[in-house]
Amino acid sequence: MIPLSHFLMISASLFCIGLYAVLTKKNAIQILIGIEFMINAAVLNFVAFGKFDKVNGGGQLFALFAIVLAAAGVAVALAIILNVYKHFKTIDPSKINKLKD
Amino acid sequence: MMNEYLPVISSSINDTISSLAYFQSEVTLAVGFLLVILSDLFLSKRFSQLSFGLTIGIVLLVMVQSFTFLNVENTSLFGGMLIMNHLSILFKILFCLVSLLFVLFIRYNRSLLLHEKGTSDLYAILLAVHLGMNLMAMSANLLMVFMALEMVSLGSYLMVGYISGDQKQSEASMKYALFGAVCSAIMLYGISLLYGYTGSLYLNDPSFISGLNNIPPMALGLALTMVLIGVAFKLAVVPLHFWAPDVYEGAPTPVTAFLSTAPKIAGFALLIKFIVLIKALNHTFLDIKLIVASIAIASMVLGNFAAIWQNNTKRMLAYSSIGHTGFMFMALFVAPGQGYNALIFYMFIYVIMNMAAFLIVDEIEEQTGKQNLEDYRGLGRQFSVLMVCFVFVLVSLTGLPPTVGFTAKFLVFSTALDAYNSSGSLIILVMIILAAISTLVSLFYYFKIPLNAYLKESISSDVRISITAKAYLSMFLAFLLLLLLVFPSLIQQFL
Repeated sequence: MIPLSHFLMISASLFCIGLYAVLTKKNAIQILIGIEFMINAAVLNFVAFGKFDKVNGGGQLFALFAIVLAAAGVAVALAIILNVYKHFKTIDPSKINKLKD
Repeated sequence: MMNEYLPVISSSINDTISSLAYFQSEVTLAVGFLLVILSDLFLSKRFSQLSFGLTIGIVLLVMVQSFTFLNVENTSLFGGMLIMNHLSILFKILFCLVSLLFVLFIRYNRSLLLHEKGTSDLYAILLAVHLGMNLMAMSANLLMVFMALEMVSLGSYLMVGYISGDQKQSEASMKYALFGAVCSAIMLYGISLLYGYTGSLYLNDPSFISGLNNIPPMALGLALTMVLIGVAFKLAVVPLHFWAPDVYEGAPTPVTAFLSTAPKIAGFALLIKFIVLIKALNHTFLDIKLIVASIAIASMVLGNFAAIWQNNTKRMLAYSSIGHTGFMFMALFVAPGQGYNALIFYMFIYVIMNMAAFLIVDEIEEQTGKQNLEDYRGLGRQFSVLMVCFVFVLVSLTGLPPTVGFTAKFLVFSTALDAYNSSGSLIILVMIILAAISTLVSLFYYFKIPLNAYLKESISSDVRISITAKAYLSMFLAFLLLLLLVFPSLIQQFL
């Protein structure tokens, strides 16, 4: 039996890795991967906490919805990144700076 | 196992069926979404304007359906997933108003109209976003909150990137989608922590509130901050405002007009729920009043001061909308008890004037190709009527008579003064003074437009100007701003 704290530690470190990737990576797709890490950290939390909520199963249900919404979000973001590549021939967000003050 | 649930099943089915009666407007939107897609697929060759007509009809129907529930009591729907009350109905009517203006805006925008993809998909996306916003206004469960927020976000990303005709547009959509996805991932993690603390997802469940009261303040503060980051992104307030100017400048103008109004208002609907929740907790550590007040002050000051240095009109309006959001935060802060009348009235007026401003900016850009403030030189002579309307809209945005913007600002200020007199709290006084100063500052940048248009000579030769449907629509909205000054009861009777 794995205690709850192990799950929480893994999910917290997943979240931090994801946030680190978002803040440092120079490639829009790698940023998207970081976002996926963060979402999956939350999903892991939901499932781990859901074990103690047998009546409603709210956590399990939320995890399912979160996975579906994350997939939809990534589909949209990838389509947008494809468009960006068409116009800029790069997907490095730091080089895409036509809009600024 | 199955037998245990049998009595529960019949009661929950009864609950669902009785809830459906209150769920009409959302069902209309969902069916309408499918109808618009299908009509575009099969009938667009024969009837080119079918999806436009359908969308207008659906939005009007939703408006009527929302009005029939105007004086509804607090009703819990679908086992507590949604809660419908007078306030949520007011928000739903506001969304209908924005959608209606947005549909007309799309219909008469040339760059969207001439685009090879056509506008039908945009109408379909609008209806889905509208459904998401309605759910945001009613949601009482964290799962519903997140789903509704994502529906609105995904739809907005698609709207911004709908044409992606040039570098600016695709860059705007990428920035918006990436920032938005990060903020909603952070929010999701915060929600998962809240769920872990309480074992419940229902915002007004007694066990949810008592669970949060037993949590150490540091942990609670972290989770709530993470959740509020997701909401603050939608509102585009300081410190999560940095995407707004870029996205507003890059997106097609109708989409900018939509983004600066509807999702913002939906964000306020959510924020009100969370503030009510936080006020119900007995933590002294988390001073929500101080946080809201400092966000209000920072947004008002930064939005209005940054707008002075802008040259692109859409960018200037983006910063001014950040300032207006700060002002709405002040209205939220001083709202006495459950009354949000001043805030809702301000939102109605804000929708009208913001839409009108973007309509006129778009009209000028389409006819002359001019986007920058200094290019507006001498336009007063060419666009005689339209420029007069623009001046009225800008006067209203500043909050001066003879327009209803004055009434809206006055109501907020008088509520704030009442709150100051009854509580004597210093922070309200500071907020009132800074709001007055930033209103004064906003005069500087709003009045650059009439200054350039009327007092400076045009450098280019005259372009032939024709009066289009969009111009008539903006004239109507400007007229509405004058009319509502005399008859504010036209809106206030519903509040």
